[in-house]
Amino acid sequence: MNLVRSELLKIRTTNTWWVFALITVPLWGLALLFNWLQTEALTSGNMGEVPADQADQVQAVSSADSLAANLYTNGQFFGLLIVMLLGIVVVTSEFFHQTVTTTFLTAPHRTAVMVAKLAAAGTLALLFWVGTTLLNLVFAPLILSATDVGAQLGSGAVWRAVALNGLAYLLWSVLGVGLGVLIRSQIGATVTGILLYLGGAIGAAIAIGLLAAKFGDWINQLQLLVPSLASSLMVSGADIPGNPPRWAGAAVLIGYAVVAGVIGVLTIRRRDIS
Amino acid sequence: MSDGQTSPNAGTGQIVVSGLTKEYKNVRAVDNLSFTVQPGRVTGFLGPNGAGKTTTLRMLLNLVTPTAGEATIGGHRYADLADPLRTVGAVLEASSAHKGRTGINHLRVICAAAGLPRERADEALALVGLTPAAKRKFKGYSLGMKQRLGIAAAMLGNPRVLILDEPANGLDPEGIRWMRGFLKGLAAEGRTVLVSSHLLSEMQLLADDVVIIAAGKLVRQGPVEQVMSSMTHGSRIRVRTPQADELTAALREQSATVDTDGHGVLLVAGVDAPTVGRVALAAKVELHELTTERPDLEGVFLELTAGKAEIR
Ligand SMILES: Nc1ncnc2c1ncn2[C@@H]1O[C@H](COP(=O)(O)OP(=O)(O)O)[C@@H](O)[C@H]1O
Ligand SMILES: [Mg+2]
Repeated sequence: MNLVRSELLKIRTTNTWWVFALITVPLWGLALLFNWLQTEALTSGNMGEVPADQADQVQAVSSADSLAANLYTNGQFFGLLIVMLLGIVVVTSEFFHQTVTTTFLTAPHRTAVMVAKLAAAGTLALLFWVGTTLLNLVFAPLILSATDVGAQLGSGAVWRAVALNGLAYLLWSVLGVGLGVLIRSQIGATVTGILLYLGGAIGAAIAIGLLAAKFGDWINQLQLLVPSLASSLMVSGADIPGNPPRWAGAAVLIGYAVVAGVIGVLTIRRRDIS
Repeated sequence: MSDGQTSPNAGTGQIVVSGLTKEYKNVRAVDNLSFTVQPGRVTGFLGPNGAGKTTTLRMLLNLVTPTAGEATIGGHRYADLADPLRTVGAVLEASSAHKGRTGINHLRVICAAAGLPRERADEALALVGLTPAAKRKFKGYSLGMKQRLGIAAAMLGNPRVLILDEPANGLDPEGIRWMRGFLKGLAAEGRTVLVSSHLLSEMQLLADDVVIIAAGKLVRQGPVEQVMSSMTHGSRIRVRTPQADELTAALREQSATVDTDGHGVLLVAGVDAPTVGRVALAAKVELHELTTERPDLEGVFLELTAGKAEIR
């Protein structure tokens, strides 16, 4: 517990957390604008020509639950990126600023230190989730009423999506910590993280789309294996036909987080600090 | 060790290094090194750059895993100490603070992790005279202030063992004087103080004992005077005379070794000063200077480590 307190104090006594929070706000606003337009398009049936084989999917994402869930988890795309970067910084700043020696002198049990770091990064991630969720609870009902969907605050599916969103924030911070251990360089880990996150999401989405067109729809199930797609799947308010179920997204992400956390701990236990 | 076993050294703060070895890919940084460090004394850990000092200290502190051997503090391995910060304080090379964190917060973070009361941070800062800079960010600290903050961190748990890696590096003369007084004071209180350095002149004024290593191996260990007088080529005698050639010839007859520095000064070894005087008198040679040069630690060190200090 002392170690977790110390790790949280480390975060509190530097600029990183509020700089990241300041970056998050405009990104959240951008996402809100995008989701607003998308909600309007879906509710007004303005999707243009929808091919017959995609009608079911459009139907599903246009459901009230789905629209609401999407807005109440607004900001997830960049929010997850930010908490992953925070997880990275929690580890790499120790190497960057050469404080790791002091940290391990103070607490020679490295596993305990790493667990404390995971806990601290997770706590911070959940705070970011709470912050964006509060913002969403203010703005989403406005958009939903404006588009005649209604606030949907009584819907279980919506709250389930919000909760799973919190889980996604938690898990991505764990992925960040793991990545930070594997790539000690602050710049290196940050760039790799951003590339994996954005490149992984966009590249994999395109690749899977192409492959699905060629080999059939079952390929769509593979998007489950891409962490960033798995997390957005997790928070969709309703199951979308042709996509894997939501719980599977959560399971995959938990799997990745556990692997990242364990590899991180085992790696740091062996490493010479010189 | 929680099994209740107490080693004979437990609680004394004695450091025992035995058979310590570290192999990196291309180099044996530390090679079967054994020595002991006693409480109540300042022990200088000497060796040229690359000798393996830092690696040894980091193995002692569980930061680097030895290839072989063991090092204990008060009979325990560092990782087994119940309360490491209350037992050992360390100031290591390549150890620093977050540039954007204030000095006092740096110490508070450590206090939190070690379960020490928050006030210890203020006390430790005062101890090293850094209170006025408490709320300044680390990036604004001078080298001397950084070094002091490192010492403050090491003193947080009021440990009975202090380990410092090249603490004089980059300090100005005033800072070095302060450090010397501070460390001597700690040893006088009965604490164990182990200080590494490649600056021998500094150690001569500071250390009671020395452990000299070169190329990862032990070269000599013992009290400073003993190590110095154990020199194979004890002292030399410095003679100034206008009749250098005659005196040289006369001394060589007494099987002394005579070198000249080319400016009328002879450096004589193998005989003592009275003998030189007698030989000069007998040869009717006029003397302008006759002094016994005791080797300083620097000279001893260079001699002991000569040939072993090639760049590795
Ligand atoms: N992490 C490392 N990997 C490879 N070689 C190392 C490492 N750390 C130190 N060395 C080598 O080990 C030797 C001893 O280094 P070091 O302990 O730093 O010496 P000192 O502190 O006495 O100057 C040097 O040759 C150095 O290059
Ligand atoms: Mg060194």
